[in-house]
Amino acid sequence: MKAARTYLTASALAIGLMSTSALAEELRFTVWSGNEAHLKMLNGIAESFKATHPDVTVKFETIPPADYTQKLTFQIAGGNPPDLGWMMEDAAPTFAKAAVLMDIGPSVKAAEGYDFGDLSQAAMGLWQDGDKVYGIPFSTSPFMIYYNKAMFDKAGLDDPLALAAKGEWNMDKFQEVAKKLTEANPGKWGFEFKDGEGYASRVMHALMPPIRAYGGDAWANGECGLDKPEAIAAVTQLHDMVFKDKSIVPPGEQGDYFSGNSAMTINQISRASKMPEAGFAWGIAPLPAGPGGESPVIGQAAIVVFDQGKQKDLAAEFVAHMTNKENVATMAQFFPPARKSVLETDTFINSNKLIPADQMKNLSAAISAGKVLPSHEKSPQIFAAMAPRIDGLWKADANVEDSLKAVCAAIEPLL
Amino acid sequence: MTETTLQQATARPKDAPWLSLKYREMLEAWLFISPTLIGFLIFFLGPLIAIVYYSMTEWNLLTQQATFVGLDNFHDALFVNPDFWHVVRNSVIFALGLVPLNMALALSLALALSRPFFGVVFFRTVFFAPVITSAIAWAIVWKFLLQGEAGAVNQMLAWVGIDGPNWLREPNWAMAAVIVTRVIKMVGLNMILYIAALQAIPRDYEEAARLEGASRWQIFRMIIWPLLAPTTLVIMVITTIGSFKVFDHIYQMTGGGPENGTLVLAYYIYQQGFEFFDVGYASALAMIMFVIVMVLTVVQVTVRRKGME
Repeated sequence: MKAARTYLTASALAIGLMSTSALAEELRFTVWSGNEAHLKMLNGIAESFKATHPDVTVKFETIPPADYTQKLTFQIAGGNPPDLGWMMEDAAPTFAKAAVLMDIGPSVKAAEGYDFGDLSQAAMGLWQDGDKVYGIPFSTSPFMIYYNKAMFDKAGLDDPLALAAKGEWNMDKFQEVAKKLTEANPGKWGFEFKDGEGYASRVMHALMPPIRAYGGDAWANGECGLDKPEAIAAVTQLHDMVFKDKSIVPPGEQGDYFSGNSAMTINQISRASKMPEAGFAWGIAPLPAGPGGESPVIGQAAIVVFDQGKQKDLAAEFVAHMTNKENVATMAQFFPPARKSVLETDTFINSNKLIPADQMKNLSAAISAGKVLPSHEKSPQIFAAMAPRIDGLWKADANVEDSLKAVCAAIEPLL
Repeated sequence: MTETTLQQATARPKDAPWLSLKYREMLEAWLFISPTLIGFLIFFLGPLIAIVYYSMTEWNLLTQQATFVGLDNFHDALFVNPDFWHVVRNSVIFALGLVPLNMALALSLALALSRPFFGVVFFRTVFFAPVITSAIAWAIVWKFLLQGEAGAVNQMLAWVGIDGPNWLREPNWAMAAVIVTRVIKMVGLNMILYIAALQAIPRDYEEAARLEGASRWQIFRMIIWPLLAPTTLVIMVITTIGSFKVFDHIYQMTGGGPENGTLVLAYYIYQQGFEFFDVGYASALAMIMFVIVMVLTVVQVTVRRKGME
C-alpha cells in the first residue's frame, strides 16, 4: 500500500513537472545594449508580458554592436536564430530581402488595443513593403549637435541652442563658430564627427547631415547623389573645415568631445548618459540648417521577429506588447519613439532627466521632420566600395569633386 | 592425427587473450591516437573537404541558398575581379616586409640573449611578452600611438626635428606601420626558437675555430649560420604562412585602409564571407590562398634543401 502511494505521488509529480515544462516558454531576444538601465527597463517590460502570458519568460541576450549583425547572421545560418531581436536601419533591407524576417503585420494589428495607425508613417517607411511589416521601430533617434557650453563661453560665442532660437544656426555659422572655438581653445577642436569615427565606420554619419542640409542625398531611386552639386558643396565645406580651418578633428587624430577635447559633436540622445561623467556644462541643439532648409537626419532601430524562430507567433505577440503605447512611453527615456501620441506628449518631453524640456522639444521636432539615414539591400558592399574612395577624399590636396565622382562610379553598379 | 586431436591442438587456451600481441598493440595505438584523429577529421579534414565544395557554389550565408557554379568563383577572382590582384599584391608586400625583418631581428636578439649574463631573463621576457599579449589590445595601443600630430610616435620624432607622417592614413606608411608593429609583436617567438637552436650548438666548434684564429664574423658565417639552417627553414616557413594569414592586426589597426592599402588576402576573405555573406566566393578565395601558401612553402623548402646540399 505504501509502495503504491509512493508510486502514485511520484507519477503525479512527474506529470506535473512535465506539464509545467511543456507550458513554460522562453523567448530569446538579442539586443546590442549591455547598459544596466536599458536591460532593467527591458526586463520590466518582459515581466509585464506575464500578465497575459504567465508562463512566458523573455531572455535578453547582449551582442556588442560592432559584431551584432554578423553574429546574428551566424545564428540564423547555424539554424539557431533568436526568436526576436533589435535591428539597425542599415541591415534592415538586406535581412528583409533575404526573407529571414517574419511579416508581423497581421499579429500586431490583431493585438488587443494596438494602435498601428499611431506609428509615424515616415518612421515605418524602412520596415514596410506593401502590406508586409518587417519590424516596429523602437528607436527613431535624430542626430543632434552636442556642445560644450564652457568652450563656447570661453570663446565669447552664442551656443548653438541660442543661435537656433534666433534662426541663425546654419552651415555657414557652424563653420564660423567651429573655427573661432578652435582658435579660442588651443590644442582642441571646434567639432568632432560622431564618436570620432567619421573617417571610418561612421562615414555616413559624418557626410549625411551636411549633404541633407544642402538638399542632397547619398543615393535615391538607384542613382548616386554624391556627385551632385549639393553634395559636392556640402562635402567641400567639411573638407575646408578639416584642412583649411583645422576646426574638425582630422583623420588619424583623436579629439574626444566627451573628454572635453572638442567643442561640438554630432550624436544621438542615447549618448546623453555619458554626459554626467564629462564634467562640463553642455546642451543639445538641432543640426545646422543649410540651403536645403532644416533636414534632420535620423538613425533608426526596430524590433524584428526571425522567420526561422520556433516561436515566431509568440514572439510577434511580444513585439505588439513591447511597442504598445504604455511601453513605448517607458522606453522613450532612452529611445525616442515612433508613436505620434507619445512623441507629442509632455511625458516624452520630460522623459529624460539629463536633457531640459526645451531641448527635448527640438528632438521631438527633429523626429517628426527627419529622414532616416540611407540604406540599401547591398549596404555592406556599397560601404566597402565607398571606403577607399572616401579615404582618398580626406587628404589636404584632394579634389573633392573628383573624389565624390569616384565614389559614385564605384557604387553605382550596386545601387 | 584424428580430427579431435587436431581441434584440441589448435584450440585457443581458455585464459589466452582474444587478440594476438601484434593486433593488441595496433588497437592500443589506434585508441591512443583516436582523440586527435577524430578532432582532425571533424575540425580539419572535414571543413577542408567542405570548403572545396563550397568554393564551387554561389552560397549566401543569410538566405542559405546555394547554387552550384563550378569554377566560376575562381574564374571571377583570377580573371575578372580587379580587387583580387590588388589584395594579393598587398599580401605579398606584407610578407616581403615582415618575414626578413622579423627573422633578422629575431636572430640579432637571439645572438645577444643566448649567452647568460645578468638580466638576460628580464630581456628575454620583455621581447617575448608581446607574443602573449592580446592581438587586439596590441593593435589598439599602437593605433593610439600612431595618431597624426598628437601621436606619441610623432611627438617623439618632433623632438629630434622630424615631421612624422600620418601613419595610418597614408597607404604606404600604413603598410609600413602594420608590418613593423606586427614584427615587434611576433619577433619574440622566433627569438626563442633561435635561442634554443643556438644553445644546441656545441661550444667546441666555436672554441676550435677561435683557436684557429677565426674572427667573430667568420665563426658566425661559417659555423653558426649553417648549423642554424634547419631552424631558419622552420622559422621562414611558419613566418611566411603567418604573414599570409594575418587578420586581427589589420582588422583592428586599419580595417584594410586607407584606400585599400592594407587590404590583405585573409581580411578580404573575411569581408566577402562575413560582411557580404558570400560564403562560396570567400571559400574560393580561401582555396587560392591555400594554394599560394603551399606553393611558397614547397619552394622555400626545396630551395633551402638544395642550398644545404
